[in-house]
Amino acid sequence: MADGKKLFSRLVDLLSGGGGGSKGCGNADNILASPLTGKIVPLQSVKDEAFSSGVLGVGIAVEPENGVLKAPCNGTVDSIPEGKHAVTLIADNGAELLIHIGMDTVGLNGAPFTVKVKDGQKVKKGDTLIEFDIEAIKSAGLETVTPIVVANADDFAEVAATDAEHIEAGDALLTLKKKVWRTK
Amino acid sequence: MKEISYVIKDPLGIHARTAGLLIKEMQKFSSVLTIFRGNDSCDGKRLLALMKMRVKTGETIVIKAEGLDEDAAVKAAADFLAANL
Repeated sequence: MADGKKLFSRLVDLLSGGGGGSKGCGNADNILASPLTGKIVPLQSVKDEAFSSGVLGVGIAVEPENGVLKAPCNGTVDSIPEGKHAVTLIADNGAELLIHIGMDTVGLNGAPFTVKVKDGQKVKKGDTLIEFDIEAIKSAGLETVTPIVVANADDFAEVAATDAEHIEAGDALLTLKKKVWRTK
Repeated sequence: MKEISYVIKDPLGIHARTAGLLIKEMQKFSSVLTIFRGNDSCDGKRLLALMKMRVKTGETIVIKAEGLDEDAAVKAAADFLAANL
């Protein structure tokens, strides 16, 4: 299988204590920065049950104050749905991330969103991924609260969220702890 | 090995929320699950892989299960698809 090689290199990464080519970050490798500036919202308070119940992953949400979504870490853009309202990323540390701008925004058919990256593109922490029009989302009657979740949280020992109430884009939002040994 | 086939009826196709719910359902089983759409396929237990397939309304997906609980897994998949997609 094509995934075999990837899996193997991930395993080697795990055994060698991470790193995986992302030099010079030390522990920063396990920190996901906030992609947005705004108020922190616990995932349980998000009105979409798929997020609040943790079905889509473990994480937190941000109520954005401006419409610029930035990369939370170094990694690769996995895909952007046709509705342009979300992005999935594979972080260099192996975390599979879903960032979903607003609630029910799939129905806006992409109108308030400008995508700045492509599937498969390598990104660095802080790169702009998507720009969006907050007022256009609100005037459509939708919420702009944006969950950031780790879809493969089971691959990590812990996903811990900041206890701050407000955050600037680029500041530490989620901290991942690697499993010492892969148990699955 | 067991498999089921289903034509997606949700006008939005398989988007984040329904993908997440389907994956969560599939993760309850120990069988190896694979989702096919034409020549594309993905691990039926990984959210990002399913989202990347961008399955649209009217498209047919096939879910294959292989393992000790394959019967229960394809039944759960069929029930979920009928109720949600």
